[in-house]
Amino acid sequence: MKLLNPSVRGSSAVLAGALLLGSLTACGGSSNQAAAEADTSMLTLAIDSDSGSFGYDPLRVSAAQRQFFEGLYESLMTLQPDGSAGPGLAEEFSYNADNTVMTLTLRDDVTFTDGSKLDAELVKANLDRRSDPALSAYSAVAKGGAQEITSVDVVSPTEVALTFAKPQPGFENNLTSTTGMIVGKDGVTDTASLAATPDGSGPYTLDPTTVKGSKYVFVKNEESSEASDFAFDKVVFSVVLDPQARANALVSGQADVAMLTSSTVDFAESKGSGVSQIGGTVNTMISFDKIGKTAPAFAEEKVRQAIQHAINRQALVDALHKGDIPAWNALPKDSAGFTEDLETEFAYDPEKAKSLLAEAGYPDGFEFTIIASAQTQTDLQAVQKDLAAVGITMNVKMAASTDEAFAAVATTPLGYSPLNWDNPVGVMYGVVLNGFTNVQKATDEELSAATAELAAAKDDAAAKTAATKLNTRLVESGWMIPLYEALVNQGYNTKKVAPVEFAGTNAYPLLSSYKPAS
Amino acid sequence: MEVTVALFIAKRLLMALATVLVVAVLAFLLVHAMPGSPGAVSLGAGASQEAIDEVNQRLGWSDSLPVQFFRWLGAAVQGDFGISLIDGRSVSADLAGRLPVTASLAAGATLLSAVLGIALGVTAAVRGGVVDRIIGGVAGMAVALPAFWIGIIFVYLLAVQSPVFPATGYVPFDVSPRDWALSLALPVITLAVGGAAFIARQTRASMLEALQQEHIRTLRATATPTWKILYVHALRYASLPIVAGIALQFIQLFGGSVIAEQLFAMPGLGQAVQNSVSTHDAPSVQGVVVIATVVVVAVNLVLELATKFLDPKLRAS
Repeated sequence: MKLLNPSVRGSSAVLAGALLLGSLTACGGSSNQAAAEADTSMLTLAIDSDSGSFGYDPLRVSAAQRQFFEGLYESLMTLQPDGSAGPGLAEEFSYNADNTVMTLTLRDDVTFTDGSKLDAELVKANLDRRSDPALSAYSAVAKGGAQEITSVDVVSPTEVALTFAKPQPGFENNLTSTTGMIVGKDGVTDTASLAATPDGSGPYTLDPTTVKGSKYVFVKNEESSEASDFAFDKVVFSVVLDPQARANALVSGQADVAMLTSSTVDFAESKGSGVSQIGGTVNTMISFDKIGKTAPAFAEEKVRQAIQHAINRQALVDALHKGDIPAWNALPKDSAGFTEDLETEFAYDPEKAKSLLAEAGYPDGFEFTIIASAQTQTDLQAVQKDLAAVGITMNVKMAASTDEAFAAVATTPLGYSPLNWDNPVGVMYGVVLNGFTNVQKATDEELSAATAELAAAKDDAAAKTAATKLNTRLVESGWMIPLYEALVNQGYNTKKVAPVEFAGTNAYPLLSSYKPAS
Repeated sequence: MEVTVALFIAKRLLMALATVLVVAVLAFLLVHAMPGSPGAVSLGAGASQEAIDEVNQRLGWSDSLPVQFFRWLGAAVQGDFGISLIDGRSVSADLAGRLPVTASLAAGATLLSAVLGIALGVTAAVRGGVVDRIIGGVAGMAVALPAFWIGIIFVYLLAVQSPVFPATGYVPFDVSPRDWALSLALPVITLAVGGAAFIARQTRASMLEALQQEHIRTLRATATPTWKILYVHALRYASLPIVAGIALQFIQLFGGSVIAEQLFAMPGLGQAVQNSVSTHDAPSVQGVVVIATVVVVAVNLVLELATKFLDPKLRAS
């Protein structure tokens, strides 16, 4: 579901100054965007993080940086506007009978910025870097990964075969993101060079006017046959970390498109900017420990249910995430498995939480520790207050290192993370049932059965039934304690840019999807 | 006399060097006290211990602390602060790109706050009465207001409501001097408000004292033009604490520019230190700390020397 341009949203505190000056500015003139003319010479995108902080090796970043890197690199498969996988550097693909080998047929007209040509050897050289632990894009296909590739073999100069450790139907979807991006020969040979110099075959090349960490300037790569699909001659990624500053950049005309936080959406809209929105990411507390190894109380399902009832999600959203959606469902609102029943069944009810705790044998509550990061600390402090009200003492400890944050899955009973449910079966098998959120190896027959049912669903009705079962059980079991669904917001200058479209449910629009306003 | 001056300068230079050295040692030790080794930072959480050990070995992390420090120091004095653990780029090159941003901000804000502060302080001292009270009141408020709040107001009024200045970004001087000035305008004004208020109060107090001096009264009696009495003779007499105040402002603004850099998305040292601390990029953290210390120590040194030669009494001592 796309929530395009909602006309009515809750009132939002945009910024202290704006509120204080509201009366002064109420008679302000029309949007200054009117002065901007629609043209295709340059598109400026204000982004919320430094996509090039690790340099220009697309394999060092995850799918979240796809939009930035798809300007410089092409992928083996290409994400289509409807969210499906289409031809990219590979014109076509096929699987063997048991889906353990995927053979890709490559284009023969691709040239990289170093002058090298695409061939099967180059693809092999790229994918053979998968044992390098620094390459985040390859973490799932590396040895021991959920989608391990055991070997990459050159079949012919234009054909390459990927052999998987276990059947991988639908693997082509992985090749639409950074995992499928191919680096030229010089970049693969001397990977250190990618720190400063990209080596791709993408529609743009990096312009020397780039200021690392501040603005990345891409100019059209006339060598690329894909370049004509991209409307703008020049694309500038402007790194603006502060959310209000991004909104200011948009409404003052410095940026044509800006990633907005939900709290600045009203402000941008009030100044005449367009806003496209998409959901799909649920910020969720995840029970790492369902067997009571790190905190005995967490072995009790009723205790986990008590936590569901103890949290005032509406208050959390009102106070800290204005514009986002309080979530009682593990799956997002646009998922087939979403059900409003959970909103009433697990509504905020501290008394019920207390009685569930008593039934579970913890009438006086219990104590545990959760590891926080700078991003999650405030949310966790709000939850901490709610839990304290029912007798549960949750100590919030800031992670002293990345190692400690990662180790928390084994050392603490509860975690907190955004979860994107674009592919529920993948998340269940790769993260929840067998993945890093279940290092204690807990089992739940209902969850396993619902996941298998969803994976095997032959039509939409069957998928909806299975997804609803899965969603309901995830919440009932307390394996997932959802808090709110975050909306991804793309603000745009309506005079210059056509309404922004998302590729299916992917939170990051395709770079090629930005078109000039007609 | 000349020998005394040379000795004074030599002593101060040595003290400045010692200060930088102590800070460099502390930064080095603190970085080593941070959890996680360079190998673990650069390879990420999924790395094997063997891979981490290999990177640590390559970077010399396994050597003893003194060996590592003197190796780093030897390179640092030649302007080489090492390689970023995160993106493999030269830390020196990165800092060289960021220093002009922060320096432009701090210098611009210091200059503006000095001009405004001195003008307001002199006016308050000379005019007295209601004018003095108004300037005093406004200065009191301006000192108390947080810079980020002032920045938000300026952006809203002068970039969002009336697009006079850009809301974000930094344009290097060599790209376009005009755009450079425009991009600096709002952050400089934002940072200068508090500084101007501070300097205005300092100037007012010093001027009041100066205006009581006998030689000023004599000048008034000899019909010397008022502007000359105020801005040449009295201000010169009052200049010591004002110069000290201006230098302190520069130091404070240099360190405090992180707020403006965040609010206006400017790629300066403040942003660099924020990034490098959050990513545990040890060479970058050390580089920023040492560069910032050198700037602060240098400004202090210049202040001390200026003070010495501005004040005849101190000069004699």
